[in-house]
Amino acid sequence: MTADTLTATQPTATAGRPAVELVGIGKTYGEAEVVKDLDLSVEAGTFFSMLGPSGCGKTTTLRMIGGFVDPTRGDVLLHGEDVTDLPPNRRDVNTVFQSYALFDHLSIWDNVAFGLRRKRTGKAELRQRVGEMLELVQLTGRDKDMPRELSGGQKQRVALARALVNRPSVLLLDEPLAALDLKLRRAMQVELKRIQREVGITFVFVTHDQDEALTMSDQIAVMNEGRIHQCGTPEDIYERPTTAFVAGFIGTANRMTGDYRDGGLVLAGDMRLRTGELEGCREGEQVTIAVRPEKIWISDLTPEMVQTDGLVKATVYGGPTTTYLMEIAPGVELAVLEQNLQRARTEDRWTDGERVRIGWLPEHCLVLH
Amino acid sequence: MSVTTARPEPAVASAAAGTSRRRRRRRGSGMDRKPRFAVAVTALFFVLLYLPIAAVVVFSFNTKKSLTVFDGWSLQWYRAFFNDRELTHSLGTSLEVAAVAMVGSVVIGAALAFGLVRARSRLGAAANAIMLIPLITPEIVTGVASLMLFKGVYLEPGLATLMIAETTFSISYVTVILRARVAELNPEIEEAAMDLGASRMQAVRLVTLPLMWPAMLSSAILIFTIVFDDFVLAFFTTGVSPQPLSVRIYSAIRFGVQPSINAVGTLMLVASILLIVLALVLPRLLGRHGSGLDLFKS
Repeated sequence: MTADTLTATQPTATAGRPAVELVGIGKTYGEAEVVKDLDLSVEAGTFFSMLGPSGCGKTTTLRMIGGFVDPTRGDVLLHGEDVTDLPPNRRDVNTVFQSYALFDHLSIWDNVAFGLRRKRTGKAELRQRVGEMLELVQLTGRDKDMPRELSGGQKQRVALARALVNRPSVLLLDEPLAALDLKLRRAMQVELKRIQREVGITFVFVTHDQDEALTMSDQIAVMNEGRIHQCGTPEDIYERPTTAFVAGFIGTANRMTGDYRDGGLVLAGDMRLRTGELEGCREGEQVTIAVRPEKIWISDLTPEMVQTDGLVKATVYGGPTTTYLMEIAPGVELAVLEQNLQRARTEDRWTDGERVRIGWLPEHCLVLH
Repeated sequence: MSVTTARPEPAVASAAAGTSRRRRRRRGSGMDRKPRFAVAVTALFFVLLYLPIAAVVVFSFNTKKSLTVFDGWSLQWYRAFFNDRELTHSLGTSLEVAAVAMVGSVVIGAALAFGLVRARSRLGAAANAIMLIPLITPEIVTGVASLMLFKGVYLEPGLATLMIAETTFSISYVTVILRARVAELNPEIEEAAMDLGASRMQAVRLVTLPLMWPAMLSSAILIFTIVFDDFVLAFFTTGVSPQPLSVRIYSAIRFGVQPSINAVGTLMLVASILLIVLALVLPRLLGRHGSGLDLFKS
C-alpha cells in the first residue's frame, strides 16, 4: 500500500517502472487515424518488437517514443517520467534509422562520437567509449573510413554503434535490417540479439518480418490498423493468438468457420467436425477456429484427437517438409505440414485424390474472435 | 551528360547525309564510319562561336589601334584600361553587385529550396513551377518590368535597384540547383543529429550545411559569373553612375570602339572561365557528390 501511494504522489522517474509506457496514445494526420488510442508497456532490459504489416502504425508509434512525431493525444513515459512534450535531443533514447542516416561528411569515428561530443564528454572518456563501441560492432580499424566506403551491413553496424555509444535507457530500431539481403539479415539478427544481451539496454524493434520478431524478441506487440492486437511472448503470439489477424499474420493458420452445435462445428455441406467443447462459444453461434499446419497429424492418430477425413488435392515437396492440401468439406481446405521422416520418398507420400484420416489435439485448436 | 548530347548527332547526320551515304554503302557496313557531315557541322559551329571571341583576345594585344590589322604583340591596351578611371570604377561596381547578388541569392535561394522540398504542400508544387518562369522569361522583359516596378515605387535607378534586381533574378538559378540537392538529402539525417543530442540549429549547422556546402559554393560562383557578365537587366536597372562594366562598355562602344575594350573583354572572359572551372572542380576536390553542376557526370 505504501509503495502505491508513493508512486501515486511522486510521478517523477522511479526505478522499477517500465522503460517505456504509452498511455492512450493516438496520432491523426488530417482524416487518417494512424495510431488509435494505444496502451503499451515495455519492461526494462527486454527486447521488445512491434510487428505488423506496413502502414499499421508501428513506425509512427516508434517515432512518437523518439520524439519525432507529436502524439495527437495521450502520453509517452520513459521510466515513469512524462516526456510527451520533450524534443528528441532531451529524451534518453536513441534511434537506429531504417536508412541508417549516417553523416556522409564525417568519418566512422566522428559519426560514432557525434552524440558524446554533443554532451561534451571528456576526450579520454570519448576515445575509450567510441573505441569500445567500434569493437562491439566489429569495426575496429575502420574508424578513419567514410560511410560511402562501407557495405550495407557495416553501415548498419555504424548506425547501431552511433546510437548505443550514448548508453540510452531505450534503443529504438526502425526496421534496421530491412535493406539487407537475406543471409546478412540472418547474421545481423544473431548479432543484434548478442549486442542487446551484452549491453542490457531495452530495445524497441519495429519490423514487418514475423520470423525476425519471433526469433529475436522477449515480447512482441502485434499491430494492425493502428491498434495492438496482442502483446506477449513469441510463444504466446504463435501458439495462442487471440485474434484472427494475429493467427493469420504470424505463421499460417487453417481457418474453419461453422455453426457451433452440440460440441461440434457444422461446416459447409453439413460436414460435422467433432471439436468437443469450445471455450467461450455459445450454442448456435458462428465460430471460426484455426489449426496450424504442423499441428495436424496424418498418421499415429489417437482417440482424443479431433478427427476428420481429408481428400488430398495437392502435394508440395519442400525439402525437410512436405505440405499437403486437403479438402475436409466443400470449399474448406487445410494445409497439413509433415516432416519428411517416414515418408521421405515420393512413392511413400500421399498422392492427389487419396482419402486420408487426419486429426489434431483439442488444445491445438484455436478459437478466433 | 556528354553521352546523351552526343547521341542525337549521328541520327541527324544519317538523315541529312542520307543520299551520300547510300552511294558509298559498298565501302563499309555504314555504321562504324564517321558521320562526316556531322563532323563538318560541328566544326563550323565551333568556328562561328569562338572566332569572334578569339579575335577580341588577339586584338587586345595589338600594338596598333586598328581593329582590322594586327601589327604585333603589346600590353598597352591593358595599361590603358587600368589607367582609365571610369572603366576601373565600373569594374569595382560590377564586382560589388555580383558579390551582393551572390550572397543574397544563395541565402534566400537555399532557404527557398528547403521550403519547397520539405513543405510537401500543394502551394509548394505551384511555387516550384513559378520558380522556373524567371529562367525562361526573355531577359529584356525582366529588365523592362523591373524598371517599371522601380519607377512605380519611386525608387531612383542606381546601385540599390541594380543590386535588388540582380539578386531577385538570381534566386531562381540558386533554387533550381539547390532544390535537387535538398531533395537528395535524407531528412532522417537531421532527425538522427537531433536524436544524438543536437538542437535543431546544431543539426542544421553540423549536418545539413556541411552536406549542402559544395552545391551552395558552386551555385554562388555561377551566380557571381552570371551577374558580373549581365548586361540587359543591368542596363535597365542602373542609373547614370555608378555603371557596371557591361553597361559602361556598351556606352563606350557607341563613341567608337577602343581597343582597351578588347582588353576588358579578354579579362572578363578569362575570369569567367576560371570561375566556372572552379564551380565544376571544387565539389569534386572536396570529394562530395551531387553539386547540381556536375556537367562532367556521364
